[in-house]
Amino acid sequence: MKTGKELKPGTVLRIDNDPWLVQKAEFTKSGRNSAIMKTKLKNLLTGYKTETVYSADDKLDDVILDRKEATLSFISGDSYTFMDTTDYTMYELNAEDIEAVLPYVEEGMTDICEAVFFEDRLVSVELPTTISRQVDYTENSARGDTSGKVMKPAKLKNGTTLQVADFIEIGEFIDIDTRDGSFKGRTK
Amino acid sequence: MPGIKGACNYMKQHWDIFCKVVDNYGDIGVAWRLARQLVAEHGLAVRLWVDNLQAFTPLCPEADPRLARQWQAGVQVRHWAPKWVATDMPAVVIEAFGCKLPPGYVTALHAQAGRTLWLNLEYLSAEAWVGGCHGLPSHGGPGYQKSFFFPGFRPDTGGLLRERDLLAQRRGFQAAERAAFLARLGVAPAEGALLCSLFAYENPGLAAWLQAMASGACPVHLLVPQGRIQGELAAWLGEVPQVGQPYRRGALAVQPLPFVAQSDYDRLLWACDFNAVRGEDSFVRAQWAGRPLLWHIYPQEEDAHRIKLEAFLELYLAGLDAPARQALGGLHRAWNFGGNMGLAWQGLVAHRAELTAHAEHWCASLAARPDLATALVQFYRNWL
Repeated sequence: MKTGKELKPGTVLRIDNDPWLVQKAEFTKSGRNSAIMKTKLKNLLTGYKTETVYSADDKLDDVILDRKEATLSFISGDSYTFMDTTDYTMYELNAEDIEAVLPYVEEGMTDICEAVFFEDRLVSVELPTTISRQVDYTENSARGDTSGKVMKPAKLKNGTTLQVADFIEIGEFIDIDTRDGSFKGRTK
Repeated sequence: MPGIKGACNYMKQHWDIFCKVVDNYGDIGVAWRLARQLVAEHGLAVRLWVDNLQAFTPLCPEADPRLARQWQAGVQVRHWAPKWVATDMPAVVIEAFGCKLPPGYVTALHAQAGRTLWLNLEYLSAEAWVGGCHGLPSHGGPGYQKSFFFPGFRPDTGGLLRERDLLAQRRGFQAAERAAFLARLGVAPAEGALLCSLFAYENPGLAAWLQAMASGACPVHLLVPQGRIQGELAAWLGEVPQVGQPYRRGALAVQPLPFVAQSDYDRLLWACDFNAVRGEDSFVRAQWAGRPLLWHIYPQEEDAHRIKLEAFLELYLAGLDAPARQALGGLHRAWNFGGNMGLAWQGLVAHRAELTAHAEHWCASLAARPDLATALVQFYRNWL
């Protein structure tokens, strides 16, 4: 069982005996210390997609999935090919299947990902919680702030924009939390 | 009496509303208003299941908390006892604020395979994400789903509770009935005094605010219905105030009032020039009063209420000139997050006329949208 709060991309729920892949999960505080999770689900048998909302404390049947280590091999249009690091099998996913991690996927990345399998079929890929990416563009520091409290936008090589500390410059590598896309610091 | 009106309701479409009283009157306040409106304006037979009837009686003084079943304002009010007894299933069931239906009831829902619309009525928030979640299903147990219904201020939400003739009633009251109502409550504000009401959670900023009103140039008459702020009020006055009696401190007269039923609380809001409210139900009613308001938002873990307050202020303050916007926004932030209430109050008094006109404009703009009860009925029709 999983609670609504524990849902994340890559989780597969069993609803009415069908397997539903969580493609996206957005946690939001509601009222009086309650919370909800908005999810985007894909039926793994029919391909049908839907959006749903769960209370954080809803109890849901999840499917135990196989997981293997994989790396990104190449990108071709909307198709993303990952390679099993142990037997070198290639698996292909489309952009929608990895929507939640797509902002951090880029050509040449070397992160060891977790490939999620349902009945021997690759259904999703999860990135490590912390990844390092190079800043492709950002404005020069406006105030010379070194505290890390003043933020500014920065663009990654794949076009993703996020807020980084004011002291970060073009070409530097930064650590990103893939759970919420937040800037964690300069890569050490 | 039980049974009599029930017989009249035999052919009406039947809705259930379940409500658990958490720690205040907000949940039951909303559920009770909604139940009455669905009966009065949409011709529905409504059962309101309440787990704590003691908390219900202050809102409906005619109710008897000992009765397992009773009729109030056309609503069948039922005690939601810990031990669930099987009952007939409705066309629609509303689970107010995620209160979790009794397991036996859920089993019955599953058994009748989709003939009942199951709605979770969520908390009110002005945040933009609400529109993206409003009306979405929640696929859960086998063969069944419920939908999340979000009240809100934005057009893509379920709207706010507002009875059909509420604004006409309010305008009529403000034009002709205000003086008689205040006299009935024993309220006699001094000539030219600003009449205010205060309903809030405990708030350490109260003393500074009262002091600012007491030492201000503008005379203020503050009405305080019984509630959680009484302790801090007594501490500032230096004595335990008696209900009904005004206490004068400089330019301020403070007058505690009894806890009033919802209809009288509406009139109290309508009678005042400025209203401090809290939570959800009184917060919405103050907006229909067309008067400037101060919202004490329900405090949440990790300061989640700060985002919610700012989301409301962003909508509410739009269209105001910057000084008035800063005055009212500043007062809200000071009241909710421990700022200088004295300074903030002075700012508000200086922009009173503009804020009053703005409150009427805001009320009218909200009233141009469908109300929550109508939106619920429409949602059901679309679902059929």
